[in-house]
Amino acid sequence: MNLKRGAVLAAAAMMLSAPAIFAHHSGAAEFDSNKKFDITGVVTKVEWTNPHAHFYLDVKDSSGKVVNWNLELASPNVLIRNGWHRNSVKEGDTVSVKGSQAKDNSSVGTAEVITFPDGHKLNFLYADEPGK
Amino acid sequence: MRKLILLSAAAVLLLAGTALAQGRGAGLYRNVPPAPTGPAPKLADGTPDLSGVWLGSGGNDSDISKGLKPGEQVVMLPWAEQLVKKRQSKEDPEANCLPAGIPRGSPYPWRIVQTPTHYFILFEGNIHSYRQIFMNAKHPEDPDPTWYGHSIGHWEGDTLVVDTVGFNDKFWFDYVGHPHTEKLHTIERYRRLDAGNMTIEVTIDDPGAYSKPFTTAGRARIMPNTELLEYICQENNQDLQKLEGPARGPGGR
Repeated sequence: MNLKRGAVLAAAAMMLSAPAIFAHHSGAAEFDSNKKFDITGVVTKVEWTNPHAHFYLDVKDSSGKVVNWNLELASPNVLIRNGWHRNSVKEGDTVSVKGSQAKDNSSVGTAEVITFPDGHKLNFLYADEPGK
Repeated sequence: MRKLILLSAAAVLLLAGTALAQGRGAGLYRNVPPAPTGPAPKLADGTPDLSGVWLGSGGNDSDISKGLKPGEQVVMLPWAEQLVKKRQSKEDPEANCLPAGIPRGSPYPWRIVQTPTHYFILFEGNIHSYRQIFMNAKHPEDPDPTWYGHSIGHWEGDTLVVDTVGFNDKFWFDYVGHPHTEKLHTIERYRRLDAGNMTIEVTIDDPGAYSKPFTTAGRARIMPNTELLEYICQENNQDLQKLEGPARGPGGR
């Protein structure tokens, strides 16, 4: 891990643990910041809904089995003010997602950083990835 | 590297502190223009003009005991203390898309609308609901208990004083789960300091749950160049079934 990345991840972890980001519930009560994942797949559905936007990602594991992940974002009102658009992630897109998994170990998690094949990034809150 | 991480963590804490000073939620948004400067505006008849889109709240929404005026203290009665220890995150009315009550806010903006007889607070968050404040009116003798109670307002100099009774006992003051009873009586004091900033102090008097009244110290700032956006919390609240642990749990707040 390079220095800058370590610092950014530390900052992001702290930001994501703050209840202000999960306006209506505690993020810590649902997601485990120690269970990090880094997955790549194809977007199958986007729910531009409250209290959180979600998108779903078909991810192939090493045995070839496809698992559909449910990935959570902030709420559309926050995302829109921070430069997101309802089509920023859309069905058919191939993306990589780093995030924290739900405490119950289901294939549900936060989309902390989303990376597209051309290198552009979005995150849980913003239409870019600060510090990158 | 460790030093850099610590430095970075300190910077985040500093930012969080700044966000708190500017009103809750300020750190959540990118590219929010600075709050306007200049004197606090007045209506044609000289009444302070509180209208506008505001960001912030009357206290600390995570833990009300951490957003008090200097010297103030939250002292719960034993039953309330026991209840807080038992409360679970998934029981929080706010997580269930029910109102956050008074003074708990959200990191989303809200708008004050002033008419000669009624003031309205329109919430983007707080389940997209509204409060109505009856100006220079009286409380009914025996109001039905409701989420926002019965609010009457008057001006004391440049301070809007809102007196509310008739609450139900359902909402939580914060994520921690500080409770209240139907005996709750709140007095909110809104004072626009200048064009862009407002202080909000809320006195919480509930002899059913606390051994003495306490007063919060909240702030709000004008959020320029934005309108309230839709936020219908009930639409897709998948999170509730996955919330685990006590309201005051590890990694909590």
